[in-house]
Amino acid sequence: MALQILLNFFLAVVWMFMTVSFSPAGFAIGFIIGLGIIILMRRFFSYRLYTSRAWAIISLFLLFLKELFLSSIQVLRIVIKPNMNLKPAIFELETELKEDWEITLLSALITLTPGTLVVGISDDQKRLYIHALDFDDIDEAVSSIKETFERAILEVSRP
Amino acid sequence: MRTNDVMLQTATKVVTFIILMFAVHIFFAGHYTPGGGFVGGLLTASAIVLLMLSFDIETVNKILPFNYVTMTAIGLLLAIATAAASIIFDVPFFTHAYDYFDLPLFGETSLHSAMLFDAGVYLVVVGVTMTIIQTIGEDE
Repeated sequence: MALQILLNFFLAVVWMFMTVSFSPAGFAIGFIIGLGIIILMRRFFSYRLYTSRAWAIISLFLLFLKELFLSSIQVLRIVIKPNMNLKPAIFELETELKEDWEITLLSALITLTPGTLVVGISDDQKRLYIHALDFDDIDEAVSSIKETFERAILEVSRP
Repeated sequence: MRTNDVMLQTATKVVTFIILMFAVHIFFAGHYTPGGGFVGGLLTASAIVLLMLSFDIETVNKILPFNYVTMTAIGLLLAIATAAASIIFDVPFFTHAYDYFDLPLFGETSLHSAMLFDAGVYLVVVGVTMTIIQTIGEDE
């Protein structure tokens, strides 16, 4: 991925030398044209295009904003309810993520969305222990985290 | 004897992108400086030929899965459509039009309909050259 970005920058500089336009606009035009050529030659690379990973990062961020908004409303409803008969629990989540930064990112995303909180990570980095403020069904909570955050992180880290 | 083409292939991987970049530059430079659709098309074809020289035809066809005969047809259609568009505006065949536009990044740019005709020429040149080379290359 880094190689493609480097090639794109290199092509933009080549374009600036060809057109003798040493301005930010010249660089931007060269970058766009270079991106077009890289997209045209995308099957030349053994790994996927860097723009698709950039898009995966953006969609992960948008997903985080959406989850933050929805679960904030959920917690707000719990807080203003007159009788708070909560059912707090700590449950275990098995994760497929391997790299350190992936697990850190997943824990941070789970913690930042209100209602759930990561309290510990097992030594072999395979399980996360999550505290939930109010839950109905463990399987549902596990699968909802797996389907949203874990899948989005896997989409980013896929080679 | 089979030789190891690693040096040729590695150099090609970088040089192809620069040639394609230069082809785009030559194509757009055509109005005010030497260049245009024909040279740009030939340069593009030469980049693909360089790929074919360092890799084999099947690999290149996998990387660039274009039907060059269709590409020639699209180029001819684009050229005839640009030429025929002037009839709609009640001016003689092949009359071109241009105007100045304020584009982002580019600043004030004059867009000329001859550019579309040139794009047609470009596609025809790439298509014809690649068809000739492919047909000869695949002949056993």
